[in-house]
Amino acid sequence: MNFGLTDEQRMFKDQVLKFARKEIAPRTQEYELKGEFDFEAWRRLGEFGILGLHLPPELGGSGADVVTSVVAAEALGEAGVDGGLALAYGAHTFLCADTIFVHGTPEQQQKYVPKLASGEWIGCMGLTEPDAGSDVAAMKTRAERKDGKWVLNGTKIFITNGGIADVAVVYAKTDLNAGHGGISAFIVEKGTPGFSVGQSWHKLGVRASVTSELIFEDCVVPEENLLGNEGMGFMMAMQTVEWDRSTLLAPLVGSFKLLIDKSARYALERQQFGRPIAKFQAVKRKIANLKIFYEASRSLVYRVAWCKDQNRPLNHLEAAVVKLFMGDWSLEPTNDALTLHGGNGFCHEYDVERIFRDVRLAAIGGGTSEIQKLIISRML
Amino acid sequence: MNFDWTDEQKEIQKAIGGLLGETAQADALMLETADGESAKNIMSTWLKELAELNYLAFAQGPVNAGQAMQLVAAQEALAPLSNSLFVAVETSARLLGGLVAGFGADETREKILDPLNRGEMIGAVAVAENESREAPGLQTIATSAGDGYVLNGRKNFVANGPIADVIAVYAKVGEQTAFFLVEAKADGVTLGKRIKTMGCRGLTVCALELNDVHVEGDAVIGLSDDEAPLHWLRMAESRVQTQASIGLMKRLLDATTTHAKSHRRNGRAIIKYQEVGFKLAEMLTLLQTAQWYGRRVAYLVEQGSAEASTVSHCAKVFTAETGESMASAAMQIFAGEGFVEGSVAERGYRDAKYAALTGLSCETARMQIADDVLAGYRE
Repeated sequence: MNFGLTDEQRMFKDQVLKFARKEIAPRTQEYELKGEFDFEAWRRLGEFGILGLHLPPELGGSGADVVTSVVAAEALGEAGVDGGLALAYGAHTFLCADTIFVHGTPEQQQKYVPKLASGEWIGCMGLTEPDAGSDVAAMKTRAERKDGKWVLNGTKIFITNGGIADVAVVYAKTDLNAGHGGISAFIVEKGTPGFSVGQSWHKLGVRASVTSELIFEDCVVPEENLLGNEGMGFMMAMQTVEWDRSTLLAPLVGSFKLLIDKSARYALERQQFGRPIAKFQAVKRKIANLKIFYEASRSLVYRVAWCKDQNRPLNHLEAAVVKLFMGDWSLEPTNDALTLHGGNGFCHEYDVERIFRDVRLAAIGGGTSEIQKLIISRML
Repeated sequence: MNFDWTDEQKEIQKAIGGLLGETAQADALMLETADGESAKNIMSTWLKELAELNYLAFAQGPVNAGQAMQLVAAQEALAPLSNSLFVAVETSARLLGGLVAGFGADETREKILDPLNRGEMIGAVAVAENESREAPGLQTIATSAGDGYVLNGRKNFVANGPIADVIAVYAKVGEQTAFFLVEAKADGVTLGKRIKTMGCRGLTVCALELNDVHVEGDAVIGLSDDEAPLHWLRMAESRVQTQASIGLMKRLLDATTTHAKSHRRNGRAIIKYQEVGFKLAEMLTLLQTAQWYGRRVAYLVEQGSAEASTVSHCAKVFTAETGESMASAAMQIFAGEGFVEGSVAERGYRDAKYAALTGLSCETARMQIADDVLAGYRE
């Protein structure tokens, strides 16, 4: 076994850290507080090459492996990039662009992937519905073939990037009687008649990402916008799980490194009772807890990425284990970091307050912790 | 990166797996009640069998850190058998053996390691003492006497003490500290009665008294001003206890899952109830996370990483505490059956505590981890 990064990956991480600390992180607080998407930061991410990192060079990407993508995502978290922008990047690159790249026809790839890789276009994925969250097969959005076209009807909710996306990968039922096998995926462009954005939500965390409702009312999309084969949508959605368990969780790992940095510096500087609070065992305990979680999480996330690089399909049980651990066991050390900062930790001016809120999504988004437990217990 | 075991590592796991039949289970149970002589015989048999697989010599001391992953592969196979037996083996091979391999003189290594690694000698390490208000700090003292030393002092908790042939005793010598290799049968050595413990009852433990015990000069290892050998020992203990906890977690999960599938309530197996199934899911999550933690520690040790010691303690705290919570969950799922003395759950519940308090206790380990982290931020 070898848990190490290559020299090239280490150097790349340093580059991303420097870039993100200088170009992105200073903007975080303003947009996070406003709850607005930072288009300028997005442009810079695209310019740096983050948004298409793993996509092939002929489609505008850099051809990096999955581990390198995790390295970049971890570095964003470590640099202080907010969870909202990191989530927007994950939804755009891995849930939309990658799905089109993997399952799209050459024409679909050429049409969409380069624009997504550069960040010129923003992408999203429409899967969740009011009555179909964890239970995907219960989705009600329909796609019917009429006159050589597809007509979509239904509503998607909690769609990251939904309100700002130029293109969406939308999942809909094409066969009501086939359960999971009756779900297909479609590429829907902004401005398509019948496609509109409904409400957007103000959230506890990841506030700089736009989370919206997508509404399809007799939305007609060309037949060639069917993505992959008819009835393969569920399988395609499930394939994104490996990205979810690696690159989308990687910023959280990086955030813990940042929490350690911030907490250690604060504990050494902050004086109470005539000495730095780092001298108190109760404070040191919290710093240790952060380190313990950080070290535990790294191997899990990188292993998923490595398996994907080896073209090894991720065991559903192991994928659920990673998600469950990251979601449920990250809460206590984050709370420790906030408490260590005292009143300051409760204020927006300190990164810990933002990370405290952002982390909460890890046990909800991409399948709740309860769903992960259900998956694991059924496979035991 | 590569997260796969090598063929060699799979081979050693398979070979150790071949030793773990019903007889092995019986041996582990017998250790709990055996008298000193019988316990020594059982352990000697086990050590000789493991010696044939070269298990005892793996990754001994800092000089052989390159075998750390091979060791973890082997430990993951052996540890689920029994905490007591595993810790007894590791105390001899990795703690005593590691100290000798890492810090002993050439002739000492030859004299001790050869029989130790053939399973013909059992080792122990004696560090812990009772500290009083009047006499703080290390109270076991070595004084120069001719070409050797004379040792006086008392150690209160020596794992393997009742069955050991040689014990590395930690003592003060002037302003320095060192480990002194003491033969258990040497004049002036008094081993106390076997101490009855809450858990790990198969691990033989006793107190040790040293009254004017003469030790030759070449039996002194790791004489130092900065306690470096003790720090190495603490890391080694953390690594042993990490694997002991992982073994316990594996044993508990296997047994509890089997029980939850077969035990029925209201017409269905209890695993079908989310209150039970979800507990098992959490147990598996903790086990897998712990396993990757232990393997990552081995990687860092192999690489000679400056972080190896800190992460070893992180892994020990994580696995010890999750081991305890898993033992509690297992007991809950087994319910009445688990509460019966001698059941897997009951034994696991008692055994789990040991890892949290031996070596660096979880509290002390956390302070060490924090000190290590903070040291990186001091100007």
